[in-house]
Amino acid sequence: MADPRRYFDDIALGEEYESPGRTVTEADIVIFAGLSGDYNVLHTDAEFMKQSIFGERIAHGLLGLAIQAGLLTRATQAYATLAFVGLRWKFKGPIRIGDTIRLRAKVVAKKEAAKPDRGLVTLQRAVLNQRDEVVQEGETDLLVERRA
Amino acid sequence: MTPGPARSYFEDVELHDAVETPAITLTAAHVGIYHGLTRELDADPAAVPDLLPLCVAVGLGWRTPRAPLAVLALLGLDWQPLRPLRAGDTVRSRSRIVARRPLRDGGVIVEEREVLDQRGEVVQRGRFTYLVGKRPKEVAA
Repeated sequence: MADPRRYFDDIALGEEYESPGRTVTEADIVIFAGLSGDYNVLHTDAEFMKQSIFGERIAHGLLGLAIQAGLLTRATQAYATLAFVGLRWKFKGPIRIGDTIRLRAKVVAKKEAAKPDRGLVTLQRAVLNQRDEVVQEGETDLLVERRA
Repeated sequence: MTPGPARSYFEDVELHDAVETPAITLTAAHVGIYHGLTRELDADPAAVPDLLPLCVAVGLGWRTPRAPLAVLALLGLDWQPLRPLRAGDTVRSRSRIVARRPLRDGGVIVEEREVLDQRGEVVQRGRFTYLVGKRPKEVAA
């Protein structure tokens, strides 16, 4: 069977992807608090947050980051990734309970690596909500296999 | 109003203050829950997803004796996974604050954080930038 993964050589500079949307629910936030152990009041105390600038609980920034990583797998065929090696990320605005987020990504750099069997692919990513506001954005570096 | 638990505010933050957390064993259950939550799937169910140690490190940061920071928002993150982890590995986290910049209603702090495995090797590391609140007037120091 042919390998369906996309290799460094198959990925074109400037390629763009857009994922389906994903509604972030109260359940997502509760599960993420339990998984990570991050019970900060921002995410868990509805009464405290009524008094805050947000007016309600908001999703963990890292929950948004983790969800967008999953959304990429629904936006494009998997890369032949060897390792995720770097992240430069900005959290621009809150993700509220009930918000629907999606990922827009673009290949902005391809570099040969020291080892000839791999290359570095940099993706610029933006996480948008249902009002098209950018709530998170940044770049990720992936080491991707080359075709033999 | 009943006073809440102690929190540290921007005024309390000191530079170069290293803190080490307790450890947690990452299990197949953590990996399974993470896959279900994010749909970032992997053919190998024992491979720990790259972002999971980062997420757990933040939770571990709340389990130290000092009062938790009054974080108003996470602003930025630079992060480097250095080595892959497997279910069964035990991680802990070490952090220190390397920069602080006051604003009108608090300030920005930069925290360096490392994730270490059971052999004491740094497996992930990076920098968080947080907005931290200043001490409210009604809360005495």
